[in-house]
Amino acid sequence: MAAELIDPVAVAAQAKGLIAIGAGIAVGLAGIGAGMGEQTIGAAAVGAMAEDEKFFGKGLLMTVIPESIAIFGLVVALILLFVF
Amino acid sequence: MLKPTKMARVIITGTKEIMEPVISTLHRMDVLHITDYHEDAVDFKIGHPLKPASGLSEKLLSLRAISSQLGVAGKEGASKKSAKELPSIIDEKIKQLHEDVTSRVDELRNIEFRMKEKDDLIAAVKPFFGLELSLGAYRGYESVRVFTGFINAELESRVSKITNNYELFTGEYEKRRIFALFVPEAFAEEVQKLLQDERTFVELKVPALEGNPPVILEALNNEVSGLRQKHDSIHSELENIKKDYSEFILASDEYLSVETQKAEAPLRFATSANAFVIDGWIPAARFSELEKALEDSTGGRAYIMQPSDKVNMEEIPVKMNNPGLAEPFELLIDTFATPKYKEIDPSSIIFITFPLFYGIMLGDVGYGLLVSALALGIKSKFKTGGLNALALILFLSGIMSTLFGVLFGEFFGLPIFNVVVHGHLEHGILGIWAPAIGGIHMPIHRFDSVQPLLLLTFIIGIIHLTLGLVLGFRNVTIMHGLKHAIYEKGCWLLILFGGIAVIAKLMPALMSKTPVPTGNPIFAGGMLLAIIGVALLVKGEGPIAIMEVPTLLSNVLSYARILAIGLSSAGIALVVNTLSKDLFIMPDGVLLGGGIGAALVGVLILVIGHTINLILGIIGPGLHSLRLHYVEFFTKFYEGGGTKYIPFGYIRKYTEE
Repeated sequence: MAAELIDPVAVAAQAKGLIAIGAGIAVGLAGIGAGMGEQTIGAAAVGAMAEDEKFFGKGLLMTVIPESIAIFGLVVALILLFVF
Repeated sequence: MLKPTKMARVIITGTKEIMEPVISTLHRMDVLHITDYHEDAVDFKIGHPLKPASGLSEKLLSLRAISSQLGVAGKEGASKKSAKELPSIIDEKIKQLHEDVTSRVDELRNIEFRMKEKDDLIAAVKPFFGLELSLGAYRGYESVRVFTGFINAELESRVSKITNNYELFTGEYEKRRIFALFVPEAFAEEVQKLLQDERTFVELKVPALEGNPPVILEALNNEVSGLRQKHDSIHSELENIKKDYSEFILASDEYLSVETQKAEAPLRFATSANAFVIDGWIPAARFSELEKALEDSTGGRAYIMQPSDKVNMEEIPVKMNNPGLAEPFELLIDTFATPKYKEIDPSSIIFITFPLFYGIMLGDVGYGLLVSALALGIKSKFKTGGLNALALILFLSGIMSTLFGVLFGEFFGLPIFNVVVHGHLEHGILGIWAPAIGGIHMPIHRFDSVQPLLLLTFIIGIIHLTLGLVLGFRNVTIMHGLKHAIYEKGCWLLILFGGIAVIAKLMPALMSKTPVPTGNPIFAGGMLLAIIGVALLVKGEGPIAIMEVPTLLSNVLSYARILAIGLSSAGIALVVNTLSKDLFIMPDGVLLGGGIGAALVGVLILVIGHTINLILGIIGPGLHSLRLHYVEFFTKFYEGGGTKYIPFGYIRKYTEE
């Protein structure tokens, strides 16, 4: 039993799998978070643009601000996958 | 480059007699940005439009109505009409056109209305095909009531419970049962109640026509086809008018717009009883040209001067000044905000960085060439305006993507050269190994070099942010002085570089679980720089500004998207290629192993997949490259809020003077 548990190949494979799951969770949850942030801002930005097209630049800027969260998730995932 | 065109303030004065020639000259030169006069003095009031203004607008209104009725659309490359000949014919022609077009359009509407009426009648008559009665037989009785309609239930037995004195006709129309029931007036109430309680009963009104339904229908159909013929002939007449007159309409529209613009110009001037004053800005280099033109057209009676009093910087109109290829990028700046007169105009910087970021993100020879070709297509279709500028930006971005495609060795997601990915050898399209340049094995496969590329994107980010902060330092120094610049921008530079030094030493120590190298000179120096930076920041902006420090980290990390977008695009391409090749076109390595049908599905997946990826590849890198500029870069130095330079004039497309 004990010998099986510390089989180095199995442990490595298991670690790799866990890392992959972790990376997936990092990207997925960060994406959901960014989406929740963007939905309100996006709706408001489109509304502002309907009033005055000059708001396009500012609207786009505001809308993509929460996107950084998704990028943080991505950076964590990349570090998990390729650095660890 | 970097600085807007140098502007000079101009004041033009003269007596009202020469106002018209002055307006004409200014309009023709298309160079003076007029500062609107707002009435605030006793002696000078806002001017009145020249006399023909209201007449011109009326004609323009009438012409635009005709133009919209005919559906005349603007076109490129039309032959230009002489603006001198137009005034003599314009009145009569517009009147004639108005009569010709309006009467025909009215008739067309009338015919369409009648056709609709007939169509409704046809729809009403058709169900009565099921009953062999003339339409006249359904009405005109004094003591008999007629019920007609669809019903999906047995009627006879139920009616006979009420009375035996009835006549029932039944038939079928489009698989539904239709009936006509004749009962004496005395039982009508009861029968009506019976029908109302029947769920499947749908009443049908008998159309007010005489004769047998098939005969009526034929007559109606004949009428409709007659109307349609008439409709078509009037329509083709209108098309002919449109063909003959569309150039005239476009030219007169332009002529009238120009004349209206001229006639309404005095609304922007200051005028007294006998004189006028025009205040505005022109590019300094063209002052003498304007001076000479005005002297020629007024015989030297207009007085032009360059006042030297100080003005609010924000009032100076900004005309960005960038060399040929960088000019389209002004569009991206204008979309964000027009720069102030004393501010750096970053168009020529974006000219380099935007396509660079785009290229690294898309980084595929196939997609890059397609994007460039698409951009050339758009550019040849739209010779002027925003779309033309956008097409040029896209073209440069496509070229950059192709270059990086060679570097990454990707062609529609397939390797161009032989490459080793995660220990597997992949044969490239060319089947050769690329040479090593500077000790680095080409190509740099993106899936295999995530770590170094990630580091590279951070370095790009740091350079980009540093450039932004340096530009910001320059802007603040010019506008508010060196001290402010150090408090506002210098401290951020210190924090940025101090932070990088600290993280560069801290991260490896944390990952290898060795103690933090506090004694290391780089680490200590970085710490010192960052602390000085934060101290300056707190002194300049107050302690709350500490909250802003982490945004610098998020700014740098944000550049990871340059790699991320690229990886996702390459990933989609890989999926599409693998799916179609391994599953459908060459299952188990045999060409057409799954039959022709499966191979066709594979080709379809290939085409649709790459099309979708191409569309994503235009939108994604474009928006994200733009975002890196707008959010990360611009916030470091760019304020905007300047007045855009809009010269008084008109770019003629259909007429010439």
